[in-house]
Amino acid sequence: MSDSSGIRLENVSRAFKGRDTIVQALDNVSLDCPAGSFTALIGPSGCGKSTMLRLALGLDRPDSGTITVSGRDPAEAARAGLTGVAFQDAALMPWRNVADNIALPLDVLGRKRAEHAGTITDLIELVGLTGFEKALPGELSGGMRQRVAIARSLVTSPQVLFLDEPFGALDQILRRQMNLELQRIWIKSRATTLLVTHGIDEAVFLADRVVVMQSRPGRIGRVVDIPLERPRRPEIFTAPEFHALQDEVAEALDGH
Amino acid sequence: MATETARRRNTLRNAAIFLVLWEVIGDLRLVADGALPSPSAILIALWRDLADYPPHILATFEGAFAGFVIGNLVAVLAGILFAVSPVAARLGRGLNIALFALPPIAISPILVLTFSGMTPRIVLAAIGCYFVTMSATITGISQTDRRMLDVVRAYGGSRWKELRLVEIRAALPAILAGLRVAAPAAVLGSILAEFGGGGRFGLGAYLIGSLGRADPGRLWGIGLAATGMALIAYGICALIEARITHSTRAVNIAATAPGEERETRPVTDTLIALGSFALPFAIWWLLLKLMGTPEMIAKTPAGVVDYLFLAPSAPGAQSRLLAALAETLPMTIIGMAAGLAFAFLLALASVVRPGIVRGFMPIALVTQTMPLVALTPLLVLMLGRGPSVILWITISVTFFPAFVTLAQGLSMVTRGALDVVKAYGASPMTQLRLVSIPASLPWLFTATRLAVPRALLGVMIAEWLATGTGLGNLLNQSRGYLDYGMIWTVAVASVLLAVIFYQIVLIIERRVLRSYGMRPAD
Repeated sequence: MSDSSGIRLENVSRAFKGRDTIVQALDNVSLDCPAGSFTALIGPSGCGKSTMLRLALGLDRPDSGTITVSGRDPAEAARAGLTGVAFQDAALMPWRNVADNIALPLDVLGRKRAEHAGTITDLIELVGLTGFEKALPGELSGGMRQRVAIARSLVTSPQVLFLDEPFGALDQILRRQMNLELQRIWIKSRATTLLVTHGIDEAVFLADRVVVMQSRPGRIGRVVDIPLERPRRPEIFTAPEFHALQDEVAEALDGH
Repeated sequence: MATETARRRNTLRNAAIFLVLWEVIGDLRLVADGALPSPSAILIALWRDLADYPPHILATFEGAFAGFVIGNLVAVLAGILFAVSPVAARLGRGLNIALFALPPIAISPILVLTFSGMTPRIVLAAIGCYFVTMSATITGISQTDRRMLDVVRAYGGSRWKELRLVEIRAALPAILAGLRVAAPAAVLGSILAEFGGGGRFGLGAYLIGSLGRADPGRLWGIGLAATGMALIAYGICALIEARITHSTRAVNIAATAPGEERETRPVTDTLIALGSFALPFAIWWLLLKLMGTPEMIAKTPAGVVDYLFLAPSAPGAQSRLLAALAETLPMTIIGMAAGLAFAFLLALASVVRPGIVRGFMPIALVTQTMPLVALTPLLVLMLGRGPSVILWITISVTFFPAFVTLAQGLSMVTRGALDVVKAYGASPMTQLRLVSIPASLPWLFTATRLAVPRALLGVMIAEWLATGTGLGNLLNQSRGYLDYGMIWTVAVASVLLAVIFYQIVLIIERRVLRSYGMRPAD
């Protein structure tokens, strides 16, 4: 994979106007996620992490600065089908069954679903939902729905993967399981990944580096590298070096 | 479950008591010397006239069904257009308010003049459906889960893809719920068009034809048949809805025309507002030109101005119109205020005693789907032809929708807000004063906006059929004298009146709600 499949933000600013207030969601932010890397964004509410993700997805435009995804404009990269995305709360369509929900990006991009039938079957197996192909989202548990969303984000075999608090609505136990699965999936696909999260342990467990953001105005405080070897096993959650990294991120969150 | 069966049993028991009481009162001729026949007498009359009904029911059905299909098709397409394009929504605002507020009976004669055959019924039935379905479509589309749209957009999906893959499907339950409410409205529209003349068959024609005969049993029978038709139409739509979406949802008829509150740009805004005002007149003019109806019969906007202000007969026309207005206006306002006040008080009482709603809501929902025309001749029989019949009809047509809206609004007051004052030992009255009444303000305004056109319709129907006063009578008389100018003038005046009423309520609503930091309900 060439270097061009990364995510790059240069001097990006974005402000939102309220009734008589201006919220500087992002103030002159630069970030470079090399191809094949896993970056976690963490920070307090309102620090602009979700704004950053929406900008990189082409859902919003910056006031100033440039953003490239795989060397292209974000909206263009999205139309070319280079990106994949999973949001908090799954955002599945209640009237589509599991297979149809996973196939949604293909419908949007105008690709033939028949040509990707194998991919869809593989993805359903990958996220452990074999046998539930025809189930509607309403018939699934929260964790299963989230796994459908993850499978959907991978159906286009994306070079760049955006995950916006994908496990935010899950309980701690389920979240651990999903973290392990996500790592397994990521090691297979090696897509450049940007994960927005509230969980320090999740960020440290999954990422190559954790970008700690600060609010008012939204900006990058510190970048903490995570030099832990992969694949990381569940036991690592109790290892001293894991705790040391967690503490480092927590300190950075406090503004040190 | 046990309470559910108990409640059902209670409802059945109440209905049985009600029927027995009615039978006794009817058989003893206690009300207005037999104007209220007993259920058995009504059924006997129905049986006697049975052979008369099929052609009438078929004719009304034909008009209602065609209008239902056409009106809803236009409504869904318009709803999609308005949801996608804010400018179109603002341009269409004037037309939408006019279609929402116009009293169908007022334009029924001009439709009969302009079109022939079944067309007037179809048009009026279509108009009856249009606003409900159009606003349901917009609500459905605009309430689509943003996150689903984000997924489509994140893959570079176009506006069309968003509509096709997400919004139209997400709006389907709302649209179907709209159709359910529109179905009885289509029946009502067809019947009201039959009042305007044209055609021997139809329940409306049958009703008008039977008015002169002292046969309360038959009038009640026709009313029953009309109500039955509306209920069956409602039921069929509810069934289809349940089959498709696996649920039926409660409907609040939105009483707000789309296209409000954007960032202000004075010049463009003024232009759009002017366009929105001019559009209904332009369509009116264009339609007549396209159809090539003779100018003598079909008056264009210019023709109405000429009739009312320029022609030699203008002063006479003006004074007749003003005299009618002076009779209609006070009745409309008093009737509406009384209907709303009853509804508000009963809704508040139902907060203190929830049993009231449970006992009353089924009846209220049934009457909401009941064509009010079915009610009018019966009230005339019972109350005579004095002004009181106007008030009772107006109150009865405004009361039920207002009550349903207010009761729903009050039931949506957050438990949390009530619990806070309850935790400090507030009495039911204090709870009402501090929480429920302020929280129900937006719903009160919504109920008022819903009541405006219904009140005017109720007054005009009563005037037409019973009292021989006001705008309703002027319209009916002008029909007899072939005074085409006056027919058009009354139609325009009553639509304008309804729109002005509506706008006044809207302005007061905005002021009041803004000062309380609230948003309009629906």
